[in-house]
Amino acid sequence: MDQVIQTIIIGLSNGLIFALVALGYTLVYGIIELINFAHGDLFMLGSFIAFVLISLVFHINADTGLPMMIGVILVVIAITMLATATINASIERVAYRPLRNAPKLAPLISAIGMSFVLQNIALLIFGPANKSVDAILPPVNVLSSFGISTITISSEQVFVAIVTIPLLVGLTWFVSKTRQGKAMRATAQDPDTAGLMGVDVNRTIAITFLIGGALAGAAGVVQILYNNTTVWNLGFRFGLNSFTSAVLGGIGNLQGAVLGAMILGLINAFSDRYIAANWTNAIVFGVLIAILVFKPTGLLGQQLADRA
Amino acid sequence: MTTQTKPVERGFGGWVGFLVDSLVAIPGAYAHAFRRRPVRTVVLTVLVIFGLIYPVLNKEFFQPYNRLSNAFPLPFPEDAVVTFMMIFAIMAIGLNIVAGFAGLLDLGYVAFYAFGAYTAAFLASPHFGSVSIVLFSETIPGFPGIHLPFWMLVPIAMAVAAAFGALLGAPTLRLRGDYLAIVTLGFGEIVPVIFKNLASVTFDLGPIHLVNANLTGGNLGINPIDPPIFFGIRFGSSSGIAAVYLGMILLAGAIIIARNLERSRMGRAWMAIREDEIAAEMMGVNPVRTKLLAFALGASFAGVAGVFQASYQGLTTSDFFTFATSILVLIMIILGGIGNIWGVIVGAITLVFVDKTFLPYLGQRMAAINSDLPNPSQFNFLIFGVLLVIMMRFRPEGFIPSRQRAAELRHAPPGQAIGSAATMGDAAVAAENLADTIAASQEEEVLAEAAAVEEETAAADGTSETPPRGPEGQP
Repeated sequence: MDQVIQTIIIGLSNGLIFALVALGYTLVYGIIELINFAHGDLFMLGSFIAFVLISLVFHINADTGLPMMIGVILVVIAITMLATATINASIERVAYRPLRNAPKLAPLISAIGMSFVLQNIALLIFGPANKSVDAILPPVNVLSSFGISTITISSEQVFVAIVTIPLLVGLTWFVSKTRQGKAMRATAQDPDTAGLMGVDVNRTIAITFLIGGALAGAAGVVQILYNNTTVWNLGFRFGLNSFTSAVLGGIGNLQGAVLGAMILGLINAFSDRYIAANWTNAIVFGVLIAILVFKPTGLLGQQLADRA
Repeated sequence: MTTQTKPVERGFGGWVGFLVDSLVAIPGAYAHAFRRRPVRTVVLTVLVIFGLIYPVLNKEFFQPYNRLSNAFPLPFPEDAVVTFMMIFAIMAIGLNIVAGFAGLLDLGYVAFYAFGAYTAAFLASPHFGSVSIVLFSETIPGFPGIHLPFWMLVPIAMAVAAAFGALLGAPTLRLRGDYLAIVTLGFGEIVPVIFKNLASVTFDLGPIHLVNANLTGGNLGINPIDPPIFFGIRFGSSSGIAAVYLGMILLAGAIIIARNLERSRMGRAWMAIREDEIAAEMMGVNPVRTKLLAFALGASFAGVAGVFQASYQGLTTSDFFTFATSILVLIMIILGGIGNIWGVIVGAITLVFVDKTFLPYLGQRMAAINSDLPNPSQFNFLIFGVLLVIMMRFRPEGFIPSRQRAAELRHAPPGQAIGSAATMGDAAVAAENLADTIAASQEEEVLAEAAAVEEETAAADGTSETPPRGPEGQP
């Protein structure tokens, strides 16, 4: 039983990171119906940017004092989010916007090209080997202060939740309550009509990419502090897990993406624990195919179902 | 009394005259062919000339006698590279059927390559050493394992790949566009994982008992695999030129089959489905059958390529069959000209040359200048990725385009592009668009059918007005 609970905790922590990336997929798909293949690789770049900042620029390690560390981590998150948001918006400008009126598959192929470009940039700069940072968060079991020792919630897992949940809440607020969020929803429904109503469609799409990129950057920081390691081809599998989450929840649906990510995190954790880690990818892809074939609208539904 | 013409009796002089006449006629016939079909003629000519002079150009044969080539070593493809040009050209032709003719973007095409390769690995190797089945093979009887000859493996692999192609196609029929691409990608990722993981299978069902059976060789893959043997001659990687010619023969077969498919009733149905599925269905094209056949037949080409790869190299492992390989084949057909067989062959040959000969050569030259420079062959996919983005932006129809496909790629069909107000139900516009793009083709039959549908839909609308022309003409 403890083991099951432990697996659930691991699954939910992974799921939170998937959720940040999945939101990027679902926002972009919701607004321009593009599977942004390069999004997973943007997340990978985010983790490398965080790696550079943590271990080469700020030189923080486990001995750094707590207030200093919190400050530095916040700065790292801010810089990385800014960087990946800029990269994502630039990619949109260079590779996708010129193809706005081309057949649907042209931007998809362009996105695959960008994915390879990002991967190889990381390979060129950082080389093929894994890059690791020190485990800088204190190695304590948060539950031990409640007298539980058989189940572990590590400080890394708490950190994941502390960073991720406010971002998820903030995004939901932004999309549902602000003027810009309304413009995004309008553009997602019908770009032409939104344009006629005075929404600057190009600007709205660019902002969507900025937000998606920022979330991927935050996910990159969280991932490198949680797993302490990153590698140039991390984005492909991670991206497909996240995309599967978005599809599972109903692509274009923000709450759906988070729900899907939690389920995917659990599927990953249980498959790693109880089946075999080398089957996990096949299982995730099997889930993806099954949803797309049998319920392309996902669990919470989407308005674009008939176009899928 | 027979009307049969009497055979012309020629003396020696007559024969010389006939020969000269024939030789004189060749340039004229060639010029005619060149005017009619320039791309096909040039590609075929280059392929035939290359095939004829290849043994002379061959590096091992040529180099010792050539001081010039030693002084200025040029990037010359080795036998293995030329063989891989043939393998990838066959795959490009097959993917062109799925993605080019039928318009179904397949991002997991490498799975069928894997099925072909593992067919050869299972049926022509000592891997299953507990049985000894030798059929028509020039292996000594009593040798462990299953050993089937190459000519038998090819149709078996085609059938296996086609069956899995249909298996993949069946559930994806309802999907279109990007969702289909993702499902095929997932399939392409699952298949190598299965081949990798079935290294220790314990299975107990009725008469079949397996305990820790190594079905697929796991990470190490399966080797040795029998090389292709015809009349006692081996066509494996150690036989150099012979394998190149076997590859050329297989490629020639692939070209002939694909050309005939393209011009068949099924080929026209594929293109109609690609242009507008609803309009095609209204004209009586069965989309289920058409798409399944596109998947199955397209996959069978990869099956042949896989058998040849495994038999040629004598080994196969699941590491060969990555997403990057699927994308490499996709880049080949996009670069060459999606929808055009000759274009995709040129794309395949060019890309294999760049990947396996030119970039390593460039790396050597750069290393000679400064050993700190990065090795370009390590970053081949950076170059290919940039290439994909640039091609999509500036020349989506490829360098040797199919005219029909170029017309489509330049003008998105209604309902697909963002910013187009048309809906799927706008059948009149759809049929008009179909007629526009098909007008570029020379198939009178399709033209007539399209025109008929156009009239029908116009009549059904109850209006004699001309429907708005093309996607630009929409409100």
